Amino acid sequence: MRSLIRGGSGRGPGRDLRADFFRGLALWFIFIDHIPGNWLGNFTLQNIALCDATEAFVLLAGYAGGLAYGAALDRKGWGFGAATLLRRAGTLYIAHIFLFVVLTAQVGYSAAALDSSAYLDEMHLDAFGEQPYLALLQALMLRFQPAFLDILPLYIVLMLMLAPALPLLRRPVLLLALSFAVYVLVRLLDFNLTTWTGAGWFFNPLAWQLLFFIGCLLGYSRRCPGEAPAAPPSVPFHPALAGLCLAFLLLAFVAILLAWRRPEALAPLPEAVAAVLAGVDKSGEHPLRLISILAIAYLLGHWVPRDAAWLRGHAAAPLLLMGQHSLPVFCAGIFLSFLGRLALEYWEGWGVQAAVNLAGLAAMVTIGAMAAWYRLRDRGEPAPAGIPGSQAAGASALPAPPPASKTAAE
Amino acid sequence: MKALRPLLLLGALLLPAAAWSGTVACGAPEEMLEASDPLPATARAIASGSLRIVVAGSASVLGPGTSSPDAPWPARLKAMLQARHPGLKVDMVVHGARGLTAADTAALITGEAARAPTQLALWQAGTVEAVRSLDVDDMVAALNAGLERLQATRTDAVLIDLQFSRFLRANANVEPYREALRLVAAAHDVPLVRRYELMQFWAETERVDLERAPRNAKVATADRLNDCLAQAVLAVLEEGVAQARAQPAPKP
Repeated sequence: MRSLIRGGSGRGPGRDLRADFFRGLALWFIFIDHIPGNWLGNFTLQNIALCDATEAFVLLAGYAGGLAYGAALDRKGWGFGAATLLRRAGTLYIAHIFLFVVLTAQVGYSAAALDSSAYLDEMHLDAFGEQPYLALLQALMLRFQPAFLDILPLYIVLMLMLAPALPLLRRPVLLLALSFAVYVLVRLLDFNLTTWTGAGWFFNPLAWQLLFFIGCLLGYSRRCPGEAPAAPPSVPFHPALAGLCLAFLLLAFVAILLAWRRPEALAPLPEAVAAVLAGVDKSGEHPLRLISILAIAYLLGHWVPRDAAWLRGHAAAPLLLMGQHSLPVFCAGIFLSFLGRLALEYWEGWGVQAAVNLAGLAAMVTIGAMAAWYRLRDRGEPAPAGIPGSQAAGASALPAPPPASKTAAE
Repeated sequence: MKALRPLLLLGALLLPAAAWSGTVACGAPEEMLEASDPLPATARAIASGSLRIVVAGSASVLGPGTSSPDAPWPARLKAMLQARHPGLKVDMVVHGARGLTAADTAALITGEAARAPTQLALWQAGTVEAVRSLDVDDMVAALNAGLERLQATRTDAVLIDLQFSRFLRANANVEPYREALRLVAAAHDVPLVRRYELMQFWAETERVDLERAPRNAKVATADRLNDCLAQAVLAVLEEGVAQARAQPAPKP
């Protein structure tokens, strides 16, 4: 498995495996959080911080975007970089529409099978069944986003925003100022893209872009021809700032623990505490959520050494593989979490919980490993022997490994 | 992650333990029924012998699928209150319809409280918003505004959260709405009937499981569910009234 990891064999000293690891972790958490009723959902980031895995994913997506498309910009120019970005956005769009079709088919089937008249008074979940052609059109325009299908539209729009903004990576202060101005304006005016029902997008791209572009700037390091790439920008370590971050995160942790787990314990506290917490919105990426993820990133960035030995150990390998191939793993994760929701809808108990989580994680690691294997093969590099994934073939969202491979059976 | 491990452990320890001891509200664990806040207006009304209650929410307050007009949980609650407090006159006004949002029900409740002195508002919210993926912020704003108006007219309020069903959990993003309701209740010092948790508990312990009830048992199960819900609301009310009585003077 190690040989499939980029920068894992010492050949790519420039790659920051920490970003890959935490992106893998964020993808796993997103899978878990997308299955309400999943017991592991009590242990993801959202239980201990004001932000959740979505923030981590968007920040690190920005980081990877700044790294990859920034390099494309410096090597081959704006046009090439933008075209590559558009192709990515196109792939994401197709994935989104595919997932939409799958989800809609299931909701329609379940709603029809369920005798809901006695019980669920609100059966508008099956919007597709009521106005199929309009629903289809709205879905194609990303204006109809069923529950749990809201991160992909955000990701698509963020990619589309980066394409014109690519040259601004070289003017970090200007990019940050513009991005921040849009964020503040959008929050002040309460502006959001609208969905079919007139509600706003669950993740407002115009607000979330700030986190994404911060990630882009952290990932970008300018390369001039004939020179070694400059070191990517970093926020220097300062004990006072680190202490502030830690204090903020601890305070938020205590507040969340009380609010989520023991709401009655909030009673002796001033009502303002709960009022502030109730006002922390996710759609518009509330400043406290933003501060929360940036504080976590700052502390982890300084406390986890870039060359930490455990990053090159066996335990980190599965998450590294997931994080290094986040596009297929993310899309598959959304699909797998959908299967997980179905499983928990029909069965309950420890057995199905364990099966959903083990199969889901194994499938995502397998998909990461397969993506790594394809990449090596496409580049003409010797593909390593042994695809570590046959254990999870049953839950895999992608077709089996290529028939030409004699390694697949091992 | 190593540094986070103790925190995660702490979080695990603080998770509500599933207590099976309770016998009230169809076997629901007692901590699901804790009212965190006193209900002074209701306590005074019960003492004076006349209590006016407004119930508002989406269609579930009408007890869809039940056998008779006496079966929906507001009617059951009224009967239980009168049984527990003989001689108490209970005026129960119920407003509910398919698809009503928190903004709609806020208008119904505050309008009703303005029409006649009302001591208690039972406000069910969240299901419609979750099903239609409406803005969480809009729901929070409507609840905040409504609860402030009720506080101004000295009307006690009790929030009731979403219905549980496996189908809803699989197909709607219920968690943000549940969280928002918990926080709004805490922010206004208002008790919250955790209907979602209760119904999940009843379903998973096979006490009352409407979703999986056989077709010929649907009506009886719906009756039973409404009766259990009424018991749960009653438990929260009794706790809030007891807390109010323990306080020497009503809140200014």
